Amino acid sequence: MVNVSIRNLTFTYPQQSRPVLNAVNASFPAGQFSLITGVSGGGKSTLLKLIAGLLPSDTAGITFNDRTLTAIPATQRSRTVAMLFQEPSTQFTMDTVANELQFALENQQVPANEIPQRLTAALDFIGITALRDRKLMHLSGGEQQKVALAIIVAMDSAVILLDEPFASIDPATRLVLLQRLAQLSREQGKTVILADHDLSGYTDYVDRLTVLTDGQLTHLSPTATQDRLATFAPAKLRLQHVTVPADNQEALIQGHQLSLTANDRTLVTPQNLGFFAHHTTLITGPNGSGKSTLLRALVKLGHYQGEITYAGTDIHRLKRRRYARQVALMFQSAATQFLNVTVDEELALSLKNSFADHFTPAMATQLLTELNLADHREQIIYTLSSGQQKKLQLLCMLIMAPDVLLLDEPFKGLDYQSLQTVIRILKDVQRDLDLTYILVSHQLSGLDTFADYHLQLTDQHFVYRGVSA
Amino acid sequence: MNPSLKLALLVLVALEISFTHVWTVNVVLIVVSLILMLAGHVSVKRLALLTLIPAFFGGALVWSLTLRGTATTHFLLVIFTRMVAYVYMGGWFAQTTDPLTLTRSLEQNAKLPSKFAYGFLAAFNLMPKIQAEVSTIKAAAMMRGQVLHFWSPQLYFKVILAAMNWSDQLAAAMTSHGFVEDAPRTHATTIPLVARDWVLLVGSLILVQIGLFVGLP
Repeated sequence: MVNVSIRNLTFTYPQQSRPVLNAVNASFPAGQFSLITGVSGGGKSTLLKLIAGLLPSDTAGITFNDRTLTAIPATQRSRTVAMLFQEPSTQFTMDTVANELQFALENQQVPANEIPQRLTAALDFIGITALRDRKLMHLSGGEQQKVALAIIVAMDSAVILLDEPFASIDPATRLVLLQRLAQLSREQGKTVILADHDLSGYTDYVDRLTVLTDGQLTHLSPTATQDRLATFAPAKLRLQHVTVPADNQEALIQGHQLSLTANDRTLVTPQNLGFFAHHTTLITGPNGSGKSTLLRALVKLGHYQGEITYAGTDIHRLKRRRYARQVALMFQSAATQFLNVTVDEELALSLKNSFADHFTPAMATQLLTELNLADHREQIIYTLSSGQQKKLQLLCMLIMAPDVLLLDEPFKGLDYQSLQTVIRILKDVQRDLDLTYILVSHQLSGLDTFADYHLQLTDQHFVYRGVSA
Repeated sequence: MNPSLKLALLVLVALEISFTHVWTVNVVLIVVSLILMLAGHVSVKRLALLTLIPAFFGGALVWSLTLRGTATTHFLLVIFTRMVAYVYMGGWFAQTTDPLTLTRSLEQNAKLPSKFAYGFLAAFNLMPKIQAEVSTIKAAAMMRGQVLHFWSPQLYFKVILAAMNWSDQLAAAMTSHGFVEDAPRTHATTIPLVARDWVLLVGSLILVQIGLFVGLP
């Protein structure tokens, strides 16, 4: 049982003038599930990394049962505190699930004869025994997060930190993880601190909500916590305006007997599938089911079986360079899409290469301001928060204005305010330039008036949902 | 054979044939490596690649030396077989050694500090990721109207940036999973180092010495 307390903690990133955290005071008692919320780029990740001791800094203000992390011997620290990262694939050293677990337990100097049993128990607790010998790189993001939690369970860390762990995870996996976390805090007295900007679905699990605004933390009372969580009622997550495309409607992109596989695993069984011009199609489905694989196949980046045609021509017969003007993908990882160093340079590149004559530098500035990025024009992209990077990436891709823009989790890491702005900008540009959007998103709030079609992937098959037009 | 001793054997023999001029020993090493690779179920495609690449470069070297006309046939034969022998021995090692077992062996048997052993493993695990990253970066750039070729500095800038990012993430991941530099670790999987391994190492080395001694002009 470990209580975390923070006293008068201030943190400023090098080369930035404003502190991200300003004289923060807070306490996170053992046996409680605490949720930290706040706008994207507000310092939630920074706070968690400081608690975990992953940022080089003077952290005398953070104590675990009145001991600072530096006072705890290095080999004992992972028993005290462990962290689950936002990006599922970046938290492993080894190749397979069992090897990674074994690595973590060996680091803790668990006697060799106890390791197999601890390993099995942790996998059982999370319910992923079947994944034991699978390659980590071949697992979906949700499965990887389950493995990461299993490792923390095996390490028996007293304080469990989670940084936006559900950012690209389907509701079912999220529910399993939340149940296990609540169990860990209530039954085993673990201190669970989770940072998330999306507050939906926490009502039954979270003990206390903490709000991070302007570098300050405020703990909410239990009543205030429940009130705040209720504003994210699941009723808002329903899509009520989507229609099913008519049978005779002509598709711009057409899959013929299209099927998808990943590492010998069938994702989608052969089917015909059309995407329609000048509309917004939202694709949903469990994580790891093949949504991103489909988007990659559509831009000729992944393997698929069958045929995909664009305006009647097999995409394999289209020149890559020319096709990139017609169908472009906004990648899930924002950094992939950047080619320069500063925000301004990146925008200038998009303006120069844009496929449409629509955007002017003045318009770009206007959009930057709307996205709260105007103060960051000279900043190095890679020092932006993940939410800010996402907004800049979206802006760059919109300015490129390809005929069809594929968006893979475009709202990942965005706070509610940014989400509203981004959706409005997407709508405006679509209206002005007659673009076609195909997007994959787990984040569904605010999409009701945006999506025209809803394509659902269940049981290895895509089906359009909604009322008949 | 124990991976650490296997590595030691490879390095020692490679060093020796670098300084000696006995083509028959090189041929024997090629044949032995080939047999060991066949026994280790290395695919025919891999074997073909391992043969064609040194044959091409070795052939080119021999041809150019012949044109200059100063080298003896014996020397050309040594140069060519040496090149193939290097690649075949390297191929035998790479194709029949599991990186994780090698890492554990280096840590446990060779007493290499764990940060080097696991650093090596992490770098190895990064390889396929780098390949995938390069094609993704190229595609992503094309979607922004920029064509990147394999000689484009921007491509390398992006890849290095990605690699640096991964190394930070990897360091955080290792720390988060309890890895502490220079701290003792337990080993749930022990890599055996038995008398047979030493016999194989010493025996092989003796055989190579005899071959070199007999074969020396």
